[in-house]
Amino acid sequence: MRSEAKWPLKVAAASGVLFLLLPLALIILYAFSTEEKSFQFPPPGLTTRWFATAWFDRPDIWPPLYLSLKVALISTLLAIILGTCAAAALSRAKFFGRNALSLLFILPIALPGIITGMALRSAFDIMFISFSTWTIILGHTTFCMVVVYNNVLARFRRNSAEMVEASMDLGATGVQTFRYIVLPQIATALLAGGMLAFALSFDEVIVTTFTAGQQTTLPIWIYGELRHPTIRPITNVVAIFVIAVTLVPILFAYYFTRESEQTPRA
Amino acid sequence: MKSIQTAIIALLASASFVAPAMADMVKALGAGEGQLDIVAWPGYVESGASDKAYDWVTDFEKATSCKVNVKTAASSDEMVTLMNQGGFDLVTASGDASLRLVAGKKVQPINVDLIPNWKDVDPRLQAAPWNTVDGVHYGTPYQWGPNVLAYNTTVFKEAPKSWSVVFEEQNLPDGKSNKGRVQAYYGAIAIADAAVYLMTKKPELGIKNPYELNKDQYAAALALVTGQRALVGRYWGDAAVQVDDFKNEGVVASSSWPYQVNLLQADKKPVASTIPAEGATGWSDTTMMHVNAAHPNCAYMWMNHSLEAKVQGDVAAWFGSVPAVPAACKGNALLTDTGCDTNGFANFDKIYFWRTPIGKCEAEGSCVPYSQWSKDYVAVQGK
Amino acid sequence: MSKLSTLFFRKPGLFTAALLAPPIFWLVIVYLGSLAALLLQSFYALDDFSGVVLHEFTLATYAHLFDEANRDIILRTLIMAAAVTIASAIIAFPIAYYAAQFAKGKMKALFYIAVMMPLWSSYLVKIYAWKLILAKEGIISWIATSLHCQWLIDAILAIPSIGGSSLSFSYIGTFLVFVYIWLPYMILPIQSSLERVPFTFIEASADLGATPRQTFRNVIFPLAFPGVVAGSIFTFSLTLGDYIVPQIVGNSRLMIGQAVYTFQGTSGDIPLAAAFTVVAMVIMGIYLMIAKRLGAFDAL
Repeated sequence: MRSEAKWPLKVAAASGVLFLLLPLALIILYAFSTEEKSFQFPPPGLTTRWFATAWFDRPDIWPPLYLSLKVALISTLLAIILGTCAAAALSRAKFFGRNALSLLFILPIALPGIITGMALRSAFDIMFISFSTWTIILGHTTFCMVVVYNNVLARFRRNSAEMVEASMDLGATGVQTFRYIVLPQIATALLAGGMLAFALSFDEVIVTTFTAGQQTTLPIWIYGELRHPTIRPITNVVAIFVIAVTLVPILFAYYFTRESEQTPRA
Repeated sequence: MKSIQTAIIALLASASFVAPAMADMVKALGAGEGQLDIVAWPGYVESGASDKAYDWVTDFEKATSCKVNVKTAASSDEMVTLMNQGGFDLVTASGDASLRLVAGKKVQPINVDLIPNWKDVDPRLQAAPWNTVDGVHYGTPYQWGPNVLAYNTTVFKEAPKSWSVVFEEQNLPDGKSNKGRVQAYYGAIAIADAAVYLMTKKPELGIKNPYELNKDQYAAALALVTGQRALVGRYWGDAAVQVDDFKNEGVVASSSWPYQVNLLQADKKPVASTIPAEGATGWSDTTMMHVNAAHPNCAYMWMNHSLEAKVQGDVAAWFGSVPAVPAACKGNALLTDTGCDTNGFANFDKIYFWRTPIGKCEAEGSCVPYSQWSKDYVAVQGK
Repeated sequence: MSKLSTLFFRKPGLFTAALLAPPIFWLVIVYLGSLAALLLQSFYALDDFSGVVLHEFTLATYAHLFDEANRDIILRTLIMAAAVTIASAIIAFPIAYYAAQFAKGKMKALFYIAVMMPLWSSYLVKIYAWKLILAKEGIISWIATSLHCQWLIDAILAIPSIGGSSLSFSYIGTFLVFVYIWLPYMILPIQSSLERVPFTFIEASADLGATPRQTFRNVIFPLAFPGVVAGSIFTFSLTLGDYIVPQIVGNSRLMIGQAVYTFQGTSGDIPLAAAFTVVAMVIMGIYLMIAKRLGAFDAL
């Protein structure tokens, strides 16, 4: 039987959680503020009309939203393929240069985003590549791949290789083995990694400003709206929308991964 | 490494041969290309998104089928960089950017015969030194105006008479120090503001032109802005951010544009503006066309459209500037008939318009160039 | 197809190579290739007069890095990144510890949401929310005025160098926002390494007569430490390269990220921007080497 936490720990943990959540409450509150241009506290009045305005009167929201979704989807997909390959290879095999490689695979996320961004920008500049959706995807896939790689690698390490060997010994083809043995083992890790990758890409702005040229992704749109507000609460409405849409898969992934990870722990 | 470098240089060299030589002036106009990309100051090209009454884009788009895309830039340096990168047709360049763009061969000469409204342009601006080089016009004048001193009217019962309120530590009329309550522009051109102040404050320096400073004059101006660092909580670079700083951060005096003052007054904030006794720097902006503009016909159509009296008056009302077309001063509902006077139509000769400081200068023979201003001003802000 | 899979099964080396080819191709060509381009750019220099980059090998740009103003930028960023990392670790540890070892059922889910929601909400909107909290006419001031302790804020702001005219115009403000934004990146690795501490270890420690304090210091903390280091890689690196937070909440004194952004965007001085990026790369390289030695990579 585990003991109860001591009160100082409880207080520290609870204040930490409050620190994390209070600013979010503020974001939600100001989506209802009647003030249009710049925020002051307390808000002078509350209204729900910005939700309707955002949905009906602001056609400028949709193209950035579609662009961000497109970039995030393609980047995540590429990242899942590339990251899983890398994790599968590096989890088993021992070969010369493996350590150097595993370092290379975490570099894009361990180095600040501005390095990735600036590096890509320099490369585009030198090679006369003009900005397009694909230049954004190039940047995003590079760090998304690492997220998937990390998640899947951890799972591969935990699972035994014997299942795969048994399957192959019993005459299953590679495809069958992958479909029935490997995929179920790593499915939740793929899901968690893929979702994290998607979220990172969807909210990314540091690398994107260097690789987007004049294109507007959702975060770039939000940045513009925050700096030159036409109706400021609209950005909060969009932020709430994003929180709400992502909260569902977070919870889903949480219950999903939790069940598969109920390892006996005394 | 060396060989890669050589290969890349070879590649660059070959690419520059392929690039077209200096584009010739447009001789005749064709149909619009369906699109137009403009780099502009915030508030300069409005399509009714901020306020439905202020819209001089929608009609243009309807009439010409040129879809207008605007990229706002916060400083002249940013505009030059954007034009150097390319991908734009037009830029509303101030005098400290326009000559750099001409020298860098990033903008092309304009054929004023293709712009019917050219005849209405204020003669003082038609061949100004910041838009015309050797008799060749590099763009159409757009708007001009002073860099005003914006101040909080609850703190200052009457308008401050000197720029000293933002340059030297002192108690303001409300009895509290100005420390942390004033701002300065983040671009290095702000050193010229200090030079204008010094022209009156220290006449012995003999400053004749705030953009042509010899070593000693420059050192004095730099010392002034260095001292100013202690007074400034944060420099302003973005008009909208400055509006926010006046509202929420206790800023009570700063160099500013009439644009921010208009926005603050529209929001019923106690803010007004003045041109102190020392005079002021200012800007006179030119719509210039990129040498590789992808949509030259739409660009010419826009240049002509931008000189319509109605458009000129609307921009002046929105931005708080003075129109480049005097006819705009009469009969514009938004600007009203007193608008041009309020915005400083008569002050043309009192304003030191932004220009790029260069090493070789008329007044002193040898001056401190802009690149030095730039480096030093970054260092000042870091102090 | 089946022949191929049999071949791979018989010759695992070949299989590994086939798996590795696509991701390595991507990382080497796209990522390392770009880093090489960056390195190359940093050996060029900007011509002051025309503002055009001269494509000739020079060390002038690196020499320029050692100007006093630029040295200050690097130093100030390093101090900020270190302070943010330490503070994040201190705040994150109890949260991660409670979530990993004590929280159960609904409580555990609540902790999970509390950490994940800020991570998933818009980074920019969060920063602007903080601007509202820290502004001179903002929430902290409003609360302080209501409680008649405005003097406390004034006293804090009067501290030389980290203070300023308003919380949102000071290093304190920049620091707070950084800590908030990167905190989840510290909590998650600590929590996952704490979850790997088997409860039997803690029981054994107690059975052998250790006080809870001793158990924490000698059993739990050493096992969680790689998680702390792993989290610190994120907080340190993210602070090092950020240019948006100090621009919105800060005092106009540049950090490395802003310098890179300004030099490439506003001044068009790509070589100097590249040189600053190389500095950040070197700093992170050293940091990663230390982290690797401390076992952080297994906890990532």
